Amino acid sequence: MDKKDLTKLSRKSEITNKIVLVMCYIVIAVVLFCLFLPLFLTIICMFKNKQEIFPTEFHLFPINPTIDNFTRIAYLQYTSIGINFFQSLFMTLLVASISTIMSLFVNSLAGYAFARLNFPAKKLFWIITLMTMFIPGITILLTSISVVSALGMMNTIWVLIIPGVASAYNIFFFRQFYLGFPKDYDESARVDGCNSFSIFFRIYLPSSATPMVIMGAGTFIGYFNSYLWPTLTIDSDHAYLAQIMTTINKLFNDASTQGYGSVLAASFIALIPAVIIFCIVQRYIKDGIALTGVK
Amino acid sequence: MEQAKKKKQFSILPKNKTTEEKVSGLICIAPAFILLTIFVLVPLVMAIWRSFYYYESGPVDSYFVGFENYKAILKNEIFLKSLGNVLLMALCIVSFQVIGSFIFASILVKVRNKFTVFVRVIIYLPYLFSGIVVGCIFTLLTTYNGGFINGLITLFDGEPISFQMDKFWAYLSIIVPTLWVGMGYTTLVFYSGLINIPNDYLEAASVDGAGYFTKLFSIILPSLKNYFVLIIVTLVTGNLQMFEIPMMMTNGLPLNMTMTPVLYLVHLRSNGNVSESQIIAASILIMLSVGAINAIVFSLTNRKDKDERRVKKHG
Repeated sequence: MDKKDLTKLSRKSEITNKIVLVMCYIVIAVVLFCLFLPLFLTIICMFKNKQEIFPTEFHLFPINPTIDNFTRIAYLQYTSIGINFFQSLFMTLLVASISTIMSLFVNSLAGYAFARLNFPAKKLFWIITLMTMFIPGITILLTSISVVSALGMMNTIWVLIIPGVASAYNIFFFRQFYLGFPKDYDESARVDGCNSFSIFFRIYLPSSATPMVIMGAGTFIGYFNSYLWPTLTIDSDHAYLAQIMTTINKLFNDASTQGYGSVLAASFIALIPAVIIFCIVQRYIKDGIALTGVK
Repeated sequence: MEQAKKKKQFSILPKNKTTEEKVSGLICIAPAFILLTIFVLVPLVMAIWRSFYYYESGPVDSYFVGFENYKAILKNEIFLKSLGNVLLMALCIVSFQVIGSFIFASILVKVRNKFTVFVRVIIYLPYLFSGIVVGCIFTLLTTYNGGFINGLITLFDGEPISFQMDKFWAYLSIIVPTLWVGMGYTTLVFYSGLINIPNDYLEAASVDGAGYFTKLFSIILPSLKNYFVLIIVTLVTGNLQMFEIPMMMTNGLPLNMTMTPVLYLVHLRSNGNVSESQIIAASILIMLSVGAINAIVFSLTNRKDKDERRVKKHG
């Protein structure tokens, strides 16, 4: 009698288990659909002409596929916007690359010092550094513009690069990584006659690939995606420095008269660097989350 | 022999080592700290300073006005409205994102096979997209005449939705893209928390006859507390400063009902209707409100900690 009950029970739980599993798959499918639908529509609609993108009658696929939108992007400097799209893209990639390299170097050095070296007023410096993490960008936006114009950096490439190089978040992240580093290495390196700098460059820097990739990707994407700061610090007389998001926003504001297709084509091109970064970084994501120090 | 000698030499001179460390430590943090000082601390001090001054065209015309700038901006109805809007939107986004991504992460833990490895990787992708591009993509769905959603509705002879005129739909057209961008990342954070819970605990609980919900409330949620705090704090901080997606989707329409504080300040700056020192005072108010809300989140979770400790002591 008991045995029968048990088998009945287990069969029942098996059935509920299967139902739960099917429901899980349905949820996953819905999430994937929601994730891909906007991207799918973008890719379809960038081959539509001006009338077809927002049609009076619903059509999913383009009736007369066209590459006019990409042609407009290629000749953008001759339109009212007056920015060479590919120069803008190149300039953004250049700014983001230089800034990422500088940022990784400066912040990893500071993270190493906070993790391993004893120097005067270390606690005070650390508290001030952490404090800067909690200051919203908008609070210091206007006065930062005063500072950079006092330094004569307005409308140069430096105003795009320098202000974002030092980041308390990145310093915190590097410190967290170096704290988990075995201390015996630098002890033995010191015995062999290394000073603090050679310990950093010979031991710490070569073995910090994980934080370098994660922080580097984050910094690169942050620079590539930034909109407000480049728009406010580069005026239209210096169009060769225009960053990609500024250009896309200008296209977007003209869309009601010029058609929406070129906006989508430009967005698609601007997504490509993000996707490449994603492919590089995806195997490090898990380590990155473990390093943020939630535990 | 030689090595031993060297060792002795270094151990004899500990003072030299510490002075070397002091100097090189200061040199190591110097570049980062100087840059943070110039581009964060100096602007912050200037912002606090200027918020108490009338400051229009240059330091020549500036004079001390006390709290007048703060009073003026607190009388500005649109600014107050924008603060209310952003609080409501942040509340919706944070609650939905935390609960939704926790459920999705639990599903991914339950169904662990090669397919979900792919899902786990791909949901992170939108997190790397810029708000400007996301706005461009979602405008394709929400446009009144011939947008994808209204296209589908008219196909089934329904009434088209006006995403920029109706308050509810305008809110939704900001909230949905924000969730689309952020959900993947928070799901991954919860996932890494969930797989770190020792399986023994859960199995022991099952042996004792605990159902899923008992396990959820007495094992899973308490051990993920730090993850919840981290996610809620970052989401609140980020969403109170929402700017790009609201600008692209509704730009404050209808009648400033979806205006956010940052967007409003950017509008004010380009209009030039309000003095710069008032805008700065407003931006300091934004900083204070973000700080206050984060302090509330921290204190709530800390109090729970204390309660637990008290229970443990007496138990």
